[in-house]
Amino acid sequence: MNQPRQEKQADGLSRREFLGSSAFVGGMAAFASQLVGCRAFREMNSGAIGSYALADPKNTLYTTCLQCHLACPIKVRVWEGTPAKLTGSPYSPQNYLPHLPYETSPDQAAPADGKLDVKGQSGVQTYGDPYRLRRVLKRQGPRGSNKWRVVEFNQFIEEVVTGGKLFAEIGDERHYPGFDEVYALRDRDLARRMAADAKKVGAGTMTLAAFKQQYSADLDKLIDPDHPDLGPKNNGFVFQAGRIEHGRKELMKWFTHDSFGSNNAYEHTTICEQSHHIAFKQMTGKTHMKPDLLNCEFVLFWGTGAFSANFGLTCMAEKVTTGTISGRLKTAVVDPRLSNDAGKADWWLPVKPGADGALAQWMIRWILENKRYDARYLANANKAAAQADHEPTWTNATHLVKIVDGHPLQRMTAAEAGVGSDNEFVVSHRGKLLAVADDPKRPVEGDLLVDATVNGTKVKSAFQLLWDEAFGRTPDQYARITGLPPRLVEEVARELTSHGKRAAVDMYRGAVQHTDGFHTGCAIVTLNMLIGNFDWKGGLQVGGGHWHESGGKAASIYNFKKMHPAKMPKFGPPISREKSRYEDSSLFRDAGYPAKRPWYPFTGNLYQEIIPSFAQGYPYKGRILFLHKGTPALASPAGDKVIGMLEDPAKVPLFISSDIVIGETTMYADYIVPDVTYFERWATPHATPDVPTKTSKVRQPVAKPLTEEVEVDGERMPLCLETFLIAVAKKLNMPGFGRGAFVGHGDFHRSEDWFLKLVANIAVGDKAGERVPDADDAELALFRQARRHLPPSVFDETKWKRAVLPELWRKVVYVLNRGGRFASFGTTYDGEYMKSRFGKAVHLFMDDVAGQRNSLSGKFFIGYPAYRGQYDSSGKPLDGEGAYSLALITFKEPIGGQSRTISNYWGNIALKNENAFVLNPVDARRLGLADGQLARLRSTANPQGVVDLGNGGQKELVAKVAVSEGIRPGAVAVSWHYGHWAYGSADVIVNGRRIVGDRRRAAGICPNHAMAVDPILKDVCLTDPIGGSASFNDTFVTLTPAVSS
Amino acid sequence: MRIDKEDLPVPDPEVTAANRAQNAIERGDFLRKAAMLAAGTCSLAVGAAATVSRREAPARVPAQPDGADLDNPLERMRRELERALRKPMEERKWVMVIDRQKCIGCKACTVSCAVENDLPPGVVYRPVTEDEVGQFPHVRRVFLPRPCMQCEKPPCTPVCPVTATYRRPDGVVVVDYDICIGCRYCLNACPYNARTADFGEFFTEPAGREAAGLVGEPATAYEHRATFEYGKSRRREHGKERSPMGNARKCHFCLHRVENGMLPACVATCLGGATLFGDYGDPASLVHELVGSTRVTRLKEDLGTEPSVFYLA
Repeated sequence: MNQPRQEKQADGLSRREFLGSSAFVGGMAAFASQLVGCRAFREMNSGAIGSYALADPKNTLYTTCLQCHLACPIKVRVWEGTPAKLTGSPYSPQNYLPHLPYETSPDQAAPADGKLDVKGQSGVQTYGDPYRLRRVLKRQGPRGSNKWRVVEFNQFIEEVVTGGKLFAEIGDERHYPGFDEVYALRDRDLARRMAADAKKVGAGTMTLAAFKQQYSADLDKLIDPDHPDLGPKNNGFVFQAGRIEHGRKELMKWFTHDSFGSNNAYEHTTICEQSHHIAFKQMTGKTHMKPDLLNCEFVLFWGTGAFSANFGLTCMAEKVTTGTISGRLKTAVVDPRLSNDAGKADWWLPVKPGADGALAQWMIRWILENKRYDARYLANANKAAAQADHEPTWTNATHLVKIVDGHPLQRMTAAEAGVGSDNEFVVSHRGKLLAVADDPKRPVEGDLLVDATVNGTKVKSAFQLLWDEAFGRTPDQYARITGLPPRLVEEVARELTSHGKRAAVDMYRGAVQHTDGFHTGCAIVTLNMLIGNFDWKGGLQVGGGHWHESGGKAASIYNFKKMHPAKMPKFGPPISREKSRYEDSSLFRDAGYPAKRPWYPFTGNLYQEIIPSFAQGYPYKGRILFLHKGTPALASPAGDKVIGMLEDPAKVPLFISSDIVIGETTMYADYIVPDVTYFERWATPHATPDVPTKTSKVRQPVAKPLTEEVEVDGERMPLCLETFLIAVAKKLNMPGFGRGAFVGHGDFHRSEDWFLKLVANIAVGDKAGERVPDADDAELALFRQARRHLPPSVFDETKWKRAVLPELWRKVVYVLNRGGRFASFGTTYDGEYMKSRFGKAVHLFMDDVAGQRNSLSGKFFIGYPAYRGQYDSSGKPLDGEGAYSLALITFKEPIGGQSRTISNYWGNIALKNENAFVLNPVDARRLGLADGQLARLRSTANPQGVVDLGNGGQKELVAKVAVSEGIRPGAVAVSWHYGHWAYGSADVIVNGRRIVGDRRRAAGICPNHAMAVDPILKDVCLTDPIGGSASFNDTFVTLTPAVSS
Repeated sequence: MRIDKEDLPVPDPEVTAANRAQNAIERGDFLRKAAMLAAGTCSLAVGAAATVSRREAPARVPAQPDGADLDNPLERMRRELERALRKPMEERKWVMVIDRQKCIGCKACTVSCAVENDLPPGVVYRPVTEDEVGQFPHVRRVFLPRPCMQCEKPPCTPVCPVTATYRRPDGVVVVDYDICIGCRYCLNACPYNARTADFGEFFTEPAGREAAGLVGEPATAYEHRATFEYGKSRRREHGKERSPMGNARKCHFCLHRVENGMLPACVATCLGGATLFGDYGDPASLVHELVGSTRVTRLKEDLGTEPSVFYLA
């Protein structure tokens, strides 16, 4: 009640005084009447403000975000059935540091909100996007014309399963294949026999004639009876997923591999950063490691950082900022552009685009030359030696490698050296040869630098190979290639080697989305190896891992690997020829080198290569393309090249897309089957290795589905990916769906039949005694109340309960009430080590890689970190810049994802409504461009600076110039998130009605469509032949002044 | 009385060449003030760059332990908040401390705030401006989050013709939406550009109505949901011009959350851990500790507005 008086004192001017002096013409009477209300408000507020309905645990659900692949556990505050406010989950180590104990009740956790970045926060608008699809659409004009009509779901299933003249209604008499036709080989036992024998034909150990004779009755089930090793016609079905995560990923494979018998199920990893995974995998067997940022004293971020994208922003940022402010941590950033990280780092290394591998070699050279490496760690040749030094890991740096015809081909065996068996390797120890026993009682150390001849064979130690490579260029040469001053590089190399094990080099996309991404990645892992930081506190860590939701562990209840009732074999190579050797195929036997298109024995999920291979029919023709939550036309470099392929039914006979909005690639489909957003469905994503404690995240339906509710085999459910797969499978009577789908564990009729079993495995844990507690009655009541807004087609407790064993139900509820399972923060460290360890050998020399030839050139790959510049698919160096003088690079802002956040008005439009060409003033002057001016992007691949969208028209590669000191001269940087031509930005016709697009969503530019095309293949971007990464950063471009059209 | 939208001082988070030039002048200004700083005056211009090297004066905020004893500052602040709420309102003083070295420019605060308060186009409570300082290759990136300063002597309240806006005893400057007539005098009076006007717009209008054939009305429900600013449930609905549509709007330190034991939305989500909040009336609080830092400063100190938002430079 005293407040008005206090207010006067604070303002120094009373209300009456103000009114008296005011010249305002609004009328005093109005004021007088409103003052009453004013007083009432103050009285109301003299005490506490009213309660906050959104904070009520009954309006709160926990799930997992998917605005980016970091997939943060989130707390969703629901209001009237829709997500109202999102925050990070306080149970989650990604979002709350340290996180709340897992035992904390949802009531206690209610007021604690964790961190979530712009993308995550904006998820409300991904759910609430007015351009979201509700019903199945079928095209009513040529592909890409964006004319559609709504079809009933069951009619759609009938059409795509049966096939036929599906578009006769628009005058197209062509036959479209259905699932029924492509699902040719159905007998699992026959498939197994044929697969085994076809493999022999590929390897040349069985004649084609013998094969044909044996399977004469079934040759019609094969794609090509003359090349039976290409597999059955079933491989004509290709499931290409853009963003798919654990839970759904396994379901994709269950449907595609195990039930349908096609070897074509893909994720998008090569357009992300696959070469980084493959470098780690070849060198360590693990695909991903991260610095222990809580204890590092120095981190070198390479083509990435903790403040914008990576893996990721939300969990890493605070560890770096608090470390920096406390004086514990210094950072350096390698990036041609001044990222937010670089802008705050102690050192910025603005390397020339594409010279990352050279920079790594230069640093290696300096470290070797100045003896700054951990020689004791590197001398350990086996586990026993490492253990004697209390080192969790060891390396093959000392192992001897045979040099055959000048090529370091394979490690020498102890048998070849005459000192042991053929399953042992060999080192030189003070000049004497020793077998490297895999014996915990026999430590073996070796000499690091060995260049010798053993039994007539030239050998070098792996470390010697590295030495020779690094010293192959002088510092002056390195300085010219990288564009960096020697003093800066030396300073950073010295810093990296000045903290013992408490330093690390972290890399991501920027370092490896090059044609030499694999070798650059290996060189960066090697920088870590030189200080031997694996598994050490403050070094490089593998992360806490997860409880295995797919089962197969001692305590697991549901082992998904063994539950399929009639699992088909993998028969034939994937259409992308990934994880397959050309030399093992009958095509190689016929044609030898060069292969028509490259084979990729070391990598997978080769996203950019799928549609071109499908359309070219190499190694075989595709029949049905099912695209799920993907947009290769937008997101792949040179992605525009697939548009012509997709528009031609002769090349892509049936094209179905599963999407939430009509995206840039979805618009070329024959049918679109709506999916739900991550708020309306299930998944069990894994955590980044930045999280040191064991983490199993659960995504679950938290909002009412906005897609149409349909009926499949008597069950009501919302339209989504799972509904589509279940409906197709049931129509085909495919094993693995419907009655008896899970051997010993019942039927698969609904989403939860699959996903709740995954959740149950998480709840029981991997080992005995790891079960979570039962939810008590109060938690069970809360569980129901918090789901009161979900329709019975989504949440029907009886149906959910039925999906798992009765005794597991309350444990499942316990996990769902917390959105997953999270080990306590106290389980992070074990003395000076990480508690969760890698604990194995690091392979400086990689025999598998060294022994494999490039399938186009027939030349061996280099099996250790090396720098050879950028090259085409045959290994030939790329032409220089020519007339195009700017090196194009890309980056992510912390506000958006690559292709799906333009619907997020708060993040992608209110904060920043377009992207720009970021250009150094030196280049801007040279090109006659000013800040804010419109410019057109041109390159050899796209000299006109216009993207041909086929029937969809065209898109100009025009955007504004942003002049900045934060980029090295000679480079131009363009961010993602913008440059859409679909995704709600363009008009579409549905049932004859024009739905006008929101033009704000078309702003800016997507730089992919100026990116280089492989000079040999001509229909796909440049690709790392080993790691498979699509090259986003090896194109030279120019900018010319443009006018807005 | 109509002020054109273009004239409104809506902070633009993007730094254009034009305002970089402007900032360059302010930086010059800052350098002069930096000299004054040595003489005991503490001041910093809006948008000015931190010209002091990050490593020169590290404030030893609570030491960063490396193990299980790590204290979560969010948990500490929540404990302090609960303690403060047990006192009468007059005895607590809400302040915010923003560590500019920890700000990574991610803008999670801006959007967390927008979602929390369901802010429409043109309304922003907590922009983050960014600036690039120096020439290649010696360039730094600096960010400045700018909530309402919750001044002890707010220039915005006296100009309100209807006294709809005033300062509470706990230091928060609020707007009574039921009283506000939308004249926007306060927008012009605020030297920090902390206020924006709600023109009744929606992100999904009119495009959302156009697309209703695809998914239908529920998709855009988030723009019409109830919000809880100042502890009162309100809805912004298309075609119904009622508060807060047409009102002046501003940051209120999320009083509706704070008084329910929750940290302001920007504080809870700050990825770099740069934004801290608490009761300055509690000498044991984290914010009280940090205001004692050698790095502390406030924006436009010379205006005498006495902001409750402190920066660590």
